[in-house]
Amino acid sequence: MLLDIHDVHFGYQNEVELLQGFDLQVERGEFVALLGPSGCGKSTLMNLAAGLLHPLRGDVDFDGAPLRGLNREVGYMTQGDTLLPWASVAKNITLPLELRKVSRAEREERLDRVIRLVNLADAKEKFPSELSGGMKRRALLARSIVYDPQMLLMDEPFGALDAQLREVMHQELLSTVARTGQSVLFITHDISESILLADRILVLGGLPLRVMEEIRPPYGKNRVLAQVRNEESYFELERHLRELMREADAETKAAKARTLAH
Amino acid sequence: MTDASMSTDHAPAARVARVPRKAPVRISPTRRRLENLVLQVVLIGAFLLLWEYASDRWVPKLMVSKPSDIWTQIVRWLGDGTFARNLWVTIQATALGFLLGASAGMLLGFVTGAWRRVGEVLQPIVTAFYTLPRLALAPLFLMWFGLGMEFRVMFSATIVFFLVYYNTYFGVREVSSELISAVRIMGANQLQVALRVIIPSALVWVAAGLKISVPYALVGVVVAEMLASDEGMGYLLARGASQFSAAQSFAAIAGLLVVALIVDWLITRVTDRALRWKTAGVPQN
Repeated sequence: MLLDIHDVHFGYQNEVELLQGFDLQVERGEFVALLGPSGCGKSTLMNLAAGLLHPLRGDVDFDGAPLRGLNREVGYMTQGDTLLPWASVAKNITLPLELRKVSRAEREERLDRVIRLVNLADAKEKFPSELSGGMKRRALLARSIVYDPQMLLMDEPFGALDAQLREVMHQELLSTVARTGQSVLFITHDISESILLADRILVLGGLPLRVMEEIRPPYGKNRVLAQVRNEESYFELERHLRELMREADAETKAAKARTLAH
Repeated sequence: MTDASMSTDHAPAARVARVPRKAPVRISPTRRRLENLVLQVVLIGAFLLLWEYASDRWVPKLMVSKPSDIWTQIVRWLGDGTFARNLWVTIQATALGFLLGASAGMLLGFVTGAWRRVGEVLQPIVTAFYTLPRLALAPLFLMWFGLGMEFRVMFSATIVFFLVYYNTYFGVREVSSELISAVRIMGANQLQVALRVIIPSALVWVAAGLKISVPYALVGVVVAEMLASDEGMGYLLARGASQFSAAQSFAAIAGLLVVALIVDWLITRVTDRALRWKTAGVPQN
């Protein structure tokens, strides 16, 4: 077990506790999607795994040891453009290596490897302002895997992309993590995205947050997304998840309204 | 005949009847710049000729002098070192005023931007001072610092301070918390976050503000020299006017114009280089 969130309680001050004894496990090499309506608390879970937030009670274990402070064994990619605008693509990607005091020779070597993995070799010396939305995503992905973290934490990383580009990035993400063997905790409110990418989908909703259902899309690690999209089971899953999401949304909203009434 | 068929009948006819468009002309940028330069020279030349002619004919010479007299004055000042001496004083004061104002502005901007609570408390106070007309401080500054260099430097520093302060403050505040979280997870400690992310991102704003604040430093110094001083370009300007020598005032203005142009050119060079990443990929016209 790589990530073990066990019986965790967490909440913000003057609010109902969002997590009351929440459990979440991610195995090594597993791709887990957290699917839930906006504002249900998905990102809080990710920030707990990243060590940006700490549980009030309960444990967050990573790689067999309790997590203290920031979790530096993870790659972290969000929807925002977090490239440094004044640094070239190459400098941006090697920033984590520089911060970890990796030698220059090794930095070059690793940069070479990941930049080819994400198809950005031609844009090495460019500035972020010269990149398209998709290229920026690739650069961010490269930066979050360059130091070989054991797990990628991704919070709607492709949320701002157009549909076509998102499909391309989905396939690239899958082939990248298939090669690196990294686990992924992927947050989304996009139903098809979760089916296409995940080994396991957790549908979240309600207050306190709970797992409404756990689903394992049966497509395996080496799936070809263009094929998956035509499967009968894909449509069935989509229909089922849409129904679940509606319930989750209603439950979250109802719970929030209840707490406001108090 | 229906409406639809009418329109299909008439549409090709209308198209044929239209006059063929001329292809747009594309002038090379160099050619265009050259043409513009020629036009500018002609325009300024014409203005100077008109001035020369109108002086003492339409307008009393005492008020507006004339270009040939101003030129004589400039040559005289160049020859006897008046220009060099007073320019040097003004430039020195500008540089010092800028450095002092900019460093104080950056320091306070960083502190108020980085520590939310400090910002919430101090920022409105700074803004209150900002709305105060800076000229109102002049009598006090004169009392404190006397007629010398300090007065000019302090006066121009107060102007620069606010410009740099706001740029730094917003620069620091603008850094997204998402970016800071990402960089911390990548392995940065607090100091590295400040050095690698917050300060560079604020410096970018400061660099963008430089272009505005350096000319303002010059403005501050010249105004201070005009108010109370016995040297500097502002002093020359004011003295000329008080002696009803328009030629002297215009000569001083011409000198300031040259300094301002040089400063602007320098700043453009420096900031363009510093901000290359910002304009890269954006089509320039």
